[in-house]
Amino acid sequence: MSPTGIEDLLRELAPQVLGALVRRYGDFEACEDATQEALLRAATRWPADGMPANPRGWLVTVGSRALVDAWRSEAARRERERLVATPESEALARIDDRDDSLAMLFACCQPGLSEPSQVALTLRAIGGLTTAQIAAAFLVPESTMAQRISRAKKSIKDSGLSLDTPPEPDRLAAVLHVLYLIFSEGYAASGGPSLTAPSLTAEAIRLTRWLHRLLPAEAEVTGLLALMLLTDARRPARTTSEGALVPLAEQDRGRWDTGLIAEGVALVSEALPRGRVGPYQLQAAIAAVHDEAPSVTQTDWPQILALYDLLVRVVPGPIVSLNRAVAVGMVHGPAAGLAELSALAGDARLADHHRLFATRAHLRALAGDTDGAVVDFRAAAARTTSLPERRYLTARAHALRP
Amino acid sequence: MKYLLMIYGNQEKWDSIPAEAWPEEIAKQEAFNQHYFSTGELLGAYGLGDKVTAKLVRRKDGAAALTDGPYLETKEYMASFYVLDVPSEERAYEIAAQMPWADQEPVEVWPILHESAHDA
Repeated sequence: MSPTGIEDLLRELAPQVLGALVRRYGDFEACEDATQEALLRAATRWPADGMPANPRGWLVTVGSRALVDAWRSEAARRERERLVATPESEALARIDDRDDSLAMLFACCQPGLSEPSQVALTLRAIGGLTTAQIAAAFLVPESTMAQRISRAKKSIKDSGLSLDTPPEPDRLAAVLHVLYLIFSEGYAASGGPSLTAPSLTAEAIRLTRWLHRLLPAEAEVTGLLALMLLTDARRPARTTSEGALVPLAEQDRGRWDTGLIAEGVALVSEALPRGRVGPYQLQAAIAAVHDEAPSVTQTDWPQILALYDLLVRVVPGPIVSLNRAVAVGMVHGPAAGLAELSALAGDARLADHHRLFATRAHLRALAGDTDGAVVDFRAAAARTTSLPERRYLTARAHALRP
Repeated sequence: MKYLLMIYGNQEKWDSIPAEAWPEEIAKQEAFNQHYFSTGELLGAYGLGDKVTAKLVRRKDGAAALTDGPYLETKEYMASFYVLDVPSEERAYEIAAQMPWADQEPVEVWPILHESAHDA
């Protein structure tokens, strides 16, 4: 097997190995360290010695040994006593036919952990990335990322962890949110390609594909995967070769990835008729309408507006309402869109938000109010915290009033 | 999102604090730093020298040419700065408000828009 093949296999096995160790020994924190240790050893040994007959068994065995080594230290004596108290033969009998990966994922996204901790822990314990790789992807020092991971693991240990209770629906929502955050972080990353940082979008898609295989009947998992694929499909057209942002309306649609679009459309078409419509399916459906349109003007805006009408009911919020106002403007004309916006401007969460100014600038430009659009584009540029977006908004203002 | 926190002051203001009160004030700041390092939200905490130690550097004929700083003629100048990495601006403001002296002097908070990645 090639080194990349080995790495892919190891990362796929990571949550299964962790699950097997946790089922056997119970201590999430120590088991997670032992799993990383086993993965590291496999990454150096397998390419040289050849693949073991049972890779998962090999990793569980090496992980178990790493645990015992760790427990030989004075500080962990109590853990060893607890281990002795567990009837090992019974635990061993259950190990091989179970896959506790899903329980491990739910543990990483449990309530009480902050979002950055959930994200970091998921990437390490489920994604099989090293702390150094995660730190590089988020541009923080490795020591900072190590703190987040270690605190998160400690709090999992403290709150206890159950392998056999099926997760509640709101826990699944938390898991999907974490995967969505990983994807968004990667999608928004403005820095150039880094040699050490893994692609967070690719990792989010890999993990969501995996979750979709485990939970094929969960419509929101399918919806999230579709949303990621339909969004990622536009990546080749989303920036110029110099890294400047190209908005949807101006993208060269010939550069969109048709394979990803077909897969995303198929997924969302499969999920929606099941009748349990949630925010990810709706956002995926909106993305699908955009992705299937040959141009902005030939986009099925009435359908997009109908989907936003549903979305504001499922997840009411200022940003969803802003996006809906754009759809209103495209269907009923910019004046109608602007009227929607003035109704939103009283919302304190939006009053000074760059998205309000950017949306109004766009609608004012469509309505022929050049002066108003320039003022708003500049106000939006000053308020955004994304540098590519600031450059784009400034350029729009400049193009209207050179 | 990363945020830069800055606190300002001047010698006159610091001189008004009795010398024996300093160790306790510094310990409070150090406790703040260690707490937010351990939560994985504080990336760095830095204290600056007095304004007489600040220089303005220009390049002249390929070499450094120095004049006395700081760049801005203000009554108060930057005393220390902190870099946070937090999921929201609300969290940045919440942490800024926990700075030991935030009940007496404001903390200036700026979002950091860009950071160059190390390509190791």
